[in-house]
Amino acid sequence: MSSEENKKLYGLLAEFKNPGELMDAAKAVNKAGYHKFDAYSPFPIHGMDEAMGLKKSKLGWIVLGHGILGMLGGIALQLWVHTTAYPMNISGKPEANIPAFIPVTFELTILLAAFGTFFGMFALNKLPKFNHPLFNSQTFEKVTDDGFFIGIEAEDDLFSVEKTEKLLKDIGASHVEKVYDSE
Amino acid sequence: MAQHTLTDNLQFPESDSLAKAFFGVAVVGIVASLIGFFVNTEQFYFSYLTNFSFVATISLAALFFVMLQHITSSSWSVVLRRIPETFAYLLFMLAILFIPIFFGMQHLYEWSRPEVLAADDLAQYKEPYLNTTFFIIRNIFYFVIWSFLGWKLYQNSVKMDKQGADASTYKSQKIISGPGILLFGFTVAFASFDWLMSLEFHWFSTMFGVYLFAMSFQVFLAIAILICLYLRKQGLLRNTIRMPHFEDLGKLLFGFTVFYAYIAFSQFMLYYYANIPEHTMWYYNRLQGSWETITWMLLFGRFVVPFILLLGLWAKSNLKLLAGLSVLIVVMHFIEVFWIVTPVLHEAGITVHWLDITLLLAFAGLFFGLFFQKFKSNSMVPKNDPLLAESLNKH
Repeated sequence: MSSEENKKLYGLLAEFKNPGELMDAAKAVNKAGYHKFDAYSPFPIHGMDEAMGLKKSKLGWIVLGHGILGMLGGIALQLWVHTTAYPMNISGKPEANIPAFIPVTFELTILLAAFGTFFGMFALNKLPKFNHPLFNSQTFEKVTDDGFFIGIEAEDDLFSVEKTEKLLKDIGASHVEKVYDSE
Repeated sequence: MAQHTLTDNLQFPESDSLAKAFFGVAVVGIVASLIGFFVNTEQFYFSYLTNFSFVATISLAALFFVMLQHITSSSWSVVLRRIPETFAYLLFMLAILFIPIFFGMQHLYEWSRPEVLAADDLAQYKEPYLNTTFFIIRNIFYFVIWSFLGWKLYQNSVKMDKQGADASTYKSQKIISGPGILLFGFTVAFASFDWLMSLEFHWFSTMFGVYLFAMSFQVFLAIAILICLYLRKQGLLRNTIRMPHFEDLGKLLFGFTVFYAYIAFSQFMLYYYANIPEHTMWYYNRLQGSWETITWMLLFGRFVVPFILLLGLWAKSNLKLLAGLSVLIVVMHFIEVFWIVTPVLHEAGITVHWLDITLLLAFAGLFFGLFFQKFKSNSMVPKNDPLLAESLNKH
């Protein structure tokens, strides 16, 4: 941290004393109109999503899409195999035998939905991520122990070092610091 | 955040005439059915079994629900637990209502007729289990266990209302529920074999017990939702049974809709795919003529429609949708029990006898009448339960 002026400002990090204060602070920051901010705590806090004004995750739709794709793919695969590619008489049942296709269709639906969940979650969270600018802060290490933080990114339209710092102090931050990008 | 405490009136209003209305319906049903008994005795017993199974499965699943909440020390359900407790309490009354079936055995169960036994090798082979005496002993055994569990869990719960939650009563709920749930598993499985599966004694399915259980638990959740919604509509317990509780009931309803489909389809799939004549017979009969229509109705009404509509998170907190789907599931449950029982008597196609309807009025009227009568007699919420505060503050 020799020449802070040369580094790009990532944002402001504010520390709060307890989950209750963090929740109130998140509400205030959201109310002030910031969008690019996040709350950090050692454990999940119920109601934080609403306090931060987060929109519902798009993950559900991704999973649904993958599930439907798996279902249609499963049926199409079996229809093609059993009626066109390799028709076989199985105990006199019809070739396009939907009840018999259900287990495979079900498994493929689940498999693709699970892929959708797993990779969709990675993509939405922009993972894998090997570092995060907030790790440059010494105080932020407390976040896995007893620290409750709000980080407002410099990229937010409303961001200005003075005003944002004042806001964070006003809503009860015990400590506010600037955090810089690593490069 | 504000702490929720019990602020509602906990007494079901004495003036509510629902119990009376149900009893009125029951009286009409009973009188008409008694006439039907003399007109068509065989049909009477089949309709009786259909409707008895319809209401008994609701009470049985309620008993399971209560025991499950106790052994897992669940807090979320405490505010609404008096509803399943009351349903489970009714089991001893259902025991009395089962007695007529003993008299109708020869009409219902082919294996109990001496002439069938003399001519049928399989009936002789199964005779050590499927004989009239043992059937009666078994059913008395089931109902003694269920009645005791339902009665005791209810009594303990009410005792804590009146005397405060002493540790020993609270603990005894768990001590009863542990072995209770084990016994429940066995007795319900065997009862399903006795009541419904042995109607066609040539056929057997080792998963028939879990099949009936899956049906029962799904319909119980639907009934619980409908009763909570009725209370809400009457302005009762509005700050006690709140949205988070409805959401959880909705999630369970969704989960057990899938569970039901999984079990029901697994049973069908095994017989369909194996294609062994004596095994496929049961489904074959139900895929013939107009019975096939009902088979498809069950697939859509009990699984596809509720599954798709309940999939989203928004659906579980949409009370109108929950109400609609719960009614659908209750109706489908009746149709499914009807579809299990009636093809034995009317193989050719769907035959709705007027006795099916009058006995439905009799059973549903009596069952829900007794429920509201009992529900009125004590607090609607186990008000001294140690986990109540946690349940009230659920979010």
